[in-house]
Amino acid sequence: MSNPIKVSIIIPVYQVENYLERAVDSVLAQTLKEKEIILVDDGSEDNSPLLCDRYAREYPELIRVIHKENEGLGLARNTGVEAARGEYIAFLDSDDTVEPQMYEALYDKAIEGNYDLVMCDVKIIYVEEQRSTVVSTYPNEQIDLSDYLIRGNNITYSVNKLYKRRIWEENHYEKMLFEDISLIPALVTKYPNIGYVKQPFYNYFRRANTISTSLVGNMVDIIRAYRNFLTTSNPAYHQEVVYCAAKQLYWNMTQSRTLFQADFVELLQEFQKDFLLNPYLKEDKNTGRILEFLKKEVIPDNIICVHLRREIPAQYLEELHRDFPNSTLLEAVEKDFPAKSLPEKIQAALLAGKTDYVEEYYALKLLYEHGGIVLFPQMLASLNLKRLRLNRIFFGFEDEEQLSSGCFGAIKGHFFVQALLDSYQEDNIFNRAFLPLKDRIRDLLVLHFNLKVNGRNQLLANEVQVYLPSILCYDMQNGENCCKWAEIPVPDGFEVVSTKVLKLWSDRLLENWNLYKRELQANNKANGKKSAPPPKYEEAQIRGLFNRELEERIQEVIHNYESSTSWKLTKPIRALGRLFKHRGGIS
Amino acid sequence: MSNNCVLIVANSVYQLLTAVHMKTSILNGRETDLLVTNVTQSLSDCLPRLKESGLFRRVIFGTTKDLSRKYGAAGGEKLTEVFADIPRIFRWVLNEELADYSQIYFSNFDIFTRMLACEYDHGDCAFFCYEDGFSSYVIDFLREDRAPVNRHEQASKIKEKIEGYLLYEPGLAMRGDSIKNNALPKMDPHDHRLKQLLNFIFDYHGTKEPADFIFLEQSFRAENIPCNDLDLMRECQQAVGTSRFLVKPHPRNENNIPLQLGLTRKYPNNVPWELFLLNEGAQGKTVITVCSNAALSGRILFGMDIPTVMLYHLFDGKVLWKENDILQKFLRKFHRQFAGKNYYVPNTIYELRAILNYLGGSHE
Repeated sequence: MSNPIKVSIIIPVYQVENYLERAVDSVLAQTLKEKEIILVDDGSEDNSPLLCDRYAREYPELIRVIHKENEGLGLARNTGVEAARGEYIAFLDSDDTVEPQMYEALYDKAIEGNYDLVMCDVKIIYVEEQRSTVVSTYPNEQIDLSDYLIRGNNITYSVNKLYKRRIWEENHYEKMLFEDISLIPALVTKYPNIGYVKQPFYNYFRRANTISTSLVGNMVDIIRAYRNFLTTSNPAYHQEVVYCAAKQLYWNMTQSRTLFQADFVELLQEFQKDFLLNPYLKEDKNTGRILEFLKKEVIPDNIICVHLRREIPAQYLEELHRDFPNSTLLEAVEKDFPAKSLPEKIQAALLAGKTDYVEEYYALKLLYEHGGIVLFPQMLASLNLKRLRLNRIFFGFEDEEQLSSGCFGAIKGHFFVQALLDSYQEDNIFNRAFLPLKDRIRDLLVLHFNLKVNGRNQLLANEVQVYLPSILCYDMQNGENCCKWAEIPVPDGFEVVSTKVLKLWSDRLLENWNLYKRELQANNKANGKKSAPPPKYEEAQIRGLFNRELEERIQEVIHNYESSTSWKLTKPIRALGRLFKHRGGIS
Repeated sequence: MSNNCVLIVANSVYQLLTAVHMKTSILNGRETDLLVTNVTQSLSDCLPRLKESGLFRRVIFGTTKDLSRKYGAAGGEKLTEVFADIPRIFRWVLNEELADYSQIYFSNFDIFTRMLACEYDHGDCAFFCYEDGFSSYVIDFLREDRAPVNRHEQASKIKEKIEGYLLYEPGLAMRGDSIKNNALPKMDPHDHRLKQLLNFIFDYHGTKEPADFIFLEQSFRAENIPCNDLDLMRECQQAVGTSRFLVKPHPRNENNIPLQLGLTRKYPNNVPWELFLLNEGAQGKTVITVCSNAALSGRILFGMDIPTVMLYHLFDGKVLWKENDILQKFLRKFHRQFAGKNYYVPNTIYELRAILNYLGGSHE
């Protein structure tokens, strides 16, 4: 190699056989000649390694390949950086492309101002929707870092930037998801000498089922990423960093990654002082709403697993860890609760071999002391369960009459959990007959919170959330289920549902439909159209619904229907239909 | 007629049972007239046998039910008018003339009793209210703001005349009035002579319909109170099984609706529950009731520890005792201090099922 390498372009490669060539070819087509391409094969199992090797063979002067075991994007980039020889470093994701002038223009800019960092704009291409948009990094070419942080556009992207090599000698990626959020914005604050070329050189292809759009358990790394951003940034820009983080957190919490809202709330509370005292947040009423979350108490990220005289299968624990990598698993076995410290009834139950009864008591005890989500090994939790941490206390129906005690949760020291625990000290039928916890929960909820035993969602006294059977027992609606029975084996692609719940479910659908049709008829009549008589609420009362409840249900159903995708999609057709009908009436 | 003579007024089978018990215990040896009324229709069936027993000097029958119906809620002039005419009314409603009495025992503060108080308003005739279940423990029947009748001069004469209550458990009384509570001796479940006497009077020959779970019906229908007692019976029947479940009808309900609805087999309804207990014992039996005093009387009268399920929390009828704070306190007091371990008060229908399941022995 005769000329010094101006830019090393590092392309981590993982399972991208369909996109890799497009990416590499876009770099080969760069107008900048003095470059090198480092393909870091991160343990791909498709044809990507072969493609890398082929490129290396075809362009030995330009392209090098490093094969390594899979460790994730960040560490692959670190590997590439170590091998890089260029004066500047750039990253390209293997499913994106760059415009031919990108690296030459950024390099020239870097030289022009002796910048540590040079940025460009990003063109986002929404593949499925076949549309694109350009996201401008900054309004003008002179970057004011404080202002840039406040605006925060493209700040977390690593790929629209050119870095002086020493930056990567001083900084490295951690092994995690959201490695860019964790590192790049902080890095920007540490190297404030930044240049900017106001051109959309980087083509970011956004597709479904990529890391940025799909949900996996260790996406909770996003919390760690923002924590790193807040703690490792240049203190000189602390106020701007906090505001920048707040904007992004607010978006994530309320729009993009609501699944992790409870984790975000805990992060906010961890940096309470910084958010509450931030001057930019005081000015920005919209983002300032994030401060409301500081008051919210969420269920701690503990999973309580009690197993007496039985082991939890290793595979079960592995799956649990996969979905909830940051959660603390609180396991309890018999020795954790000395018999003498237990209520008389629990000791008697232990002697009588009533392990289910005792396990439930232990679980309640741990729940009261630590807070969290109780999960018995017969239940299989899904990532969605994280959403339920936003409750103060929650339970779920198993069917129309029964509650489930397989999965439930509460904040630490919740009074209802205490009431449940206290009931084990009393001489009542639940203890005499060693009745299951679910009976105790249901009856106490009926007694103190007026729970309606009907298998429906209920928020009791703005305190206790009770869910449908589809939330905590059976997977019946896409994206809704948080936990389901794991004991009944069914073939892949099938779900098991009890007959009772199936009936409840179909009754509910039919009732919703009937209520909606009734309301439409009533509206038609109000608009002077001929229609059937308005609904007679007495019929509903016979079924146990009071007028007020019925009215609420109707409004709820109307909202659901009208905000449903199918209703929205057919809206123009319905509007045309009404128009033609109207015209027909005139003629 | 001696003025040492005693009169007992009995309006119900429970009162008649206690009247017989009083005559054989605290009034033993005293000349006693018994006045049986038509407030409970079936009570007149006992008249021949009461007379035949020779227990009482005289057994008088009174058709007093209409008096309460007509004048119970009346006030002012109407009461003055009727209370001015007591001798004529007594001649009309009683089949024999009353004598001179030193003590009169009654259970209900009805118009007839209030008339008695006026009629015997001389210094040496004392009035005693003997136990009639819950109400005797918790209701201050003479409180002025309760009814116009309590503010009428003659009608409220009973307030001056009454010297005390006679209760099986005077410690449970919480009416809030200043009337003294005296102890009525408990019945001895092993007193065969008393048992035989009562069996004769009530013409009880034992039941051929044994059941493990007995639901004691109350007089809600007789009092025109819409409620869910039949639903509760059905719930219990389903929980324990048809063959193990019976409903003991209330004597004041004219039609045996539970029988007509298939909720029970036939069961004698003119016999006090306490007599049934005295004969059949409580072994293996569970008593279920909304809030019948009879469910507690096994404990109060005989000291029996019978598994008892009280359904008053599940009852939806509008009744005095449901809204009466004192009665609720009484029930709580009874539950906590007296009822023992076999007294259950389910809060939900599910708890009821669990209790019956447990008492049915289906738990391991």
